[in-house]
Amino acid sequence: MVDSAKPIPSTWCPGCGDFGALAALKRAMAELKIPPHEAVLVGGIGCSGGIHNFLEINGLHALHGRLLAQAVGVKLANPKLNVVAVGGDGDGYAIGMGHFMHAFKKNASILYLVMMNETYGLTKGQAAPTAPLGYEGNIERPFDAILAALSQQMPNFVARTFSGDPKTLTRVLVEALEFNRANRGFAFIEDLSPCVTYNDTFKEWREKVLDLSTLPGYDATDRATMFRLYLETLRSGRIPIGVMHRPPPAAGEVESLELKLLPDRIGPAVTGIELEPNRETYQKLLAAVG
Amino acid sequence: MTTPATQLPTTAREAAPAQGAPIKELSDLAVLIGGQGGDGTLTVSDLLARYFRRRGLYVYTSRNVLSRIRGGHADSSVRASRDAIASLKPTVDLLVAFDKEALEFGRPELEADGFVLYDSSVFQTDLPNTFGFPFATMAGSQLGQPIYKNVTAYGVISVMMGFDPVLTRTVIEERFKRRGGEALEKNLKALEIGRRAGLDASEPMHRYSIVDGDAHDLRLLTGNQAVALGFVVGGGRFFAGYPITPATEIMEYLQRYLPSLHGVVRQAEDELAAINMVIGAAYAGARAMTSTSGPGLSLMTEGIGHAGAAELPVLVADCQRVGPSTGEPTRHEQSDVAHLAHIGHGDFPRVLIAPGTVDDCFYLTVDALNIAEKWRLPVILVLDQALCQNSSTVPGFDLTQVHLDRGKRLDPGEVAARPAYKYYEHTPDGASPFAPPGTVGITSQVTGNEHDEYGHVSVNPVNRVKMMRKRMEKLTQLEPELPLSRTYGDPKATVGFIGFGSTTGPIREAQERLLAKGQSTRFFQARTLFPVPARELTAFLEPLERAYVVEHNYVGQFAGLIREALPQYHAKLRSLVKYDGLPFRSPEIARVVEGG
Repeated sequence: MVDSAKPIPSTWCPGCGDFGALAALKRAMAELKIPPHEAVLVGGIGCSGGIHNFLEINGLHALHGRLLAQAVGVKLANPKLNVVAVGGDGDGYAIGMGHFMHAFKKNASILYLVMMNETYGLTKGQAAPTAPLGYEGNIERPFDAILAALSQQMPNFVARTFSGDPKTLTRVLVEALEFNRANRGFAFIEDLSPCVTYNDTFKEWREKVLDLSTLPGYDATDRATMFRLYLETLRSGRIPIGVMHRPPPAAGEVESLELKLLPDRIGPAVTGIELEPNRETYQKLLAAVG
Repeated sequence: MTTPATQLPTTAREAAPAQGAPIKELSDLAVLIGGQGGDGTLTVSDLLARYFRRRGLYVYTSRNVLSRIRGGHADSSVRASRDAIASLKPTVDLLVAFDKEALEFGRPELEADGFVLYDSSVFQTDLPNTFGFPFATMAGSQLGQPIYKNVTAYGVISVMMGFDPVLTRTVIEERFKRRGGEALEKNLKALEIGRRAGLDASEPMHRYSIVDGDAHDLRLLTGNQAVALGFVVGGGRFFAGYPITPATEIMEYLQRYLPSLHGVVRQAEDELAAINMVIGAAYAGARAMTSTSGPGLSLMTEGIGHAGAAELPVLVADCQRVGPSTGEPTRHEQSDVAHLAHIGHGDFPRVLIAPGTVDDCFYLTVDALNIAEKWRLPVILVLDQALCQNSSTVPGFDLTQVHLDRGKRLDPGEVAARPAYKYYEHTPDGASPFAPPGTVGITSQVTGNEHDEYGHVSVNPVNRVKMMRKRMEKLTQLEPELPLSRTYGDPKATVGFIGFGSTTGPIREAQERLLAKGQSTRFFQARTLFPVPARELTAFLEPLERAYVVEHNYVGQFAGLIREALPQYHAKLRSLVKYDGLPFRSPEIARVVEGG
């Protein structure tokens, strides 16, 4: 047994919503029998981004807002790795917004789990892009990441969960990871994960969440239906959760970025780069230029 | 299909030059072709370059375009010489002007007895030594499309320079064979129209004869293409970038080269994403690179610092252009050097490698990849617009000179035999062993936060000092592996030049000019800019009376770095700077010595 990086105790406040996500992620990985060495967790900057230290997994702690770009880089360099990016809503929807929207478009088979708490906990409670009007003097309306995700016609998996319901969260995580492992593309989960110190919304969210799959007419393969159900639920004062988009398997069509680029899933990080196996290719290339 | 052009006869007039027109023999010549963007000046220079190469001459080409798709003044130039060259000729022998602006732009560079060939369907001029042909009208009326005016002009040039008619046609076939069909046929006709007009002109047109050279089997390449090729053979397999002049071609070439080698090339949403995708790929164990220019470099600064802190091997090719801000996107400068030497907040090691020739671009890219991976730090290839985009003839690249050094990369068996695997393990030289994620039996933690050997975040003061020393110590340890400088000229000279990048060519030519006048000089071509090659510079500067640091920026940035590292030579160092957006030509450099 080689001694290598082991999980360390978490630094989160007692009662933090992120514990629910951490437990669910552990369970989902175990259920799918993903060995720790085959998984990479790319963490953002913020409380949630430290999660890579708290479970047995390869960790890459990214720059603020840049976790998705780094995660896509990892996946394209070695498509056989399970790549999970985890960060907060400030990291993803403020400084990381450009990369966030492009992740849907890139459609690499990585999972992006956002722990959404409407606040910047680590810097002591400033308004996040998702903060409601009035929170810490916020005068801008909140950004809605699920609507943003639904607004694009991309074959991604999209869901929202509540960390107060770790059972459902585990089930959705398993589905998202399976989606990734089948090389079907990008999976995005926004987990409502309250900050007990600066914005304790546990009670309010527990009362208000409504799983759209319980509604008549629910069809996560149909974007227009989900848009309607989502907006109607919001209008009724509830918080929509559940799987928001579940693309039907496209018959024979390759959708994920890594399979389009590397059909045999042998990537830049694992291919032989020494001179010898490549000499002939190089010689041909050099003979053809200039 | 046989076109009329293939039956073009060699006329008596061509064989025996017209009386009264002296013919100048050229062994080092330059043709400048100017017009509006879209006039096809680049095609003319390409055809001329092909022709001269087939005559065994060394070739150097450059282009000058505005940052727009069409329109605006655009010119391109070809220099051909019996000697190996890597710079523009100080003067132009033949100026081809498709509009009046091109005449105005080009005339100051014209040799005293040089000629101008211009499109008289666009403008007229009474200046001496000018020949007007209505190129656009000729092509328009005889081929239905005025765009063939450029090859029509090439036809007249071929007469002026006494080109071999068969070879003149061959290069057209070579240039257009891939497009074939109508394009090839019409261009061959355009050539014939031009040649006929040149031969039948009322004035004798044959004015030059071109000396044959003995440079054969050379390749005409830009620095950007050579960097892309060096990256491929150096084991580079992952590239992410964002389009930016003058770096974009590196990405475009790699888009062609890498996919068949399990490589990946991505055009990212911005430079932030590009450098971070490269960081992710480097973490996974790939040799990875991005390329950019000033404005993109500013954005990538964040990621380069992260790679420094997290000890990730990333390669950044910086094709410098005029700055700051958007500056002049298509123009030449070397003004990122000070920024690069100090790039990022906080202290971390970084290495700046500066190829000076197209040849260097290939081999030093391999070295840069080796240094980055072995020492697990960011390495920057310091390039400049002229080096990146001008092309010169170089010998074919030699794979026997390419060696990969993956440092302490561990295979799964080596990992299994170890008691421990720690990403930031302390070692005597500062570089830790590396096993990529996916290796059975281990996990690793990598972070830009300060960390312990396992990669867990730490603010322990003792750990902090130890980790800082681990990273910074690499700069001392890797010194013997840095690309060495090259010195040229007389070891006994008392006057020296120091330069890097594309100034290498013009400085060497300035040395020749000075030597012809009895002034010997010595030239230090720096191929590592940071860490400043203090040992080599000391040996170079010690015997000198004075040395000029030649560079393209306002403040003398590299001179500043040298002064910082070697304050004892402050009095010997002088700056020769140029920041008008155009590359040095040799007389500008020679003049500074002649003037004392």
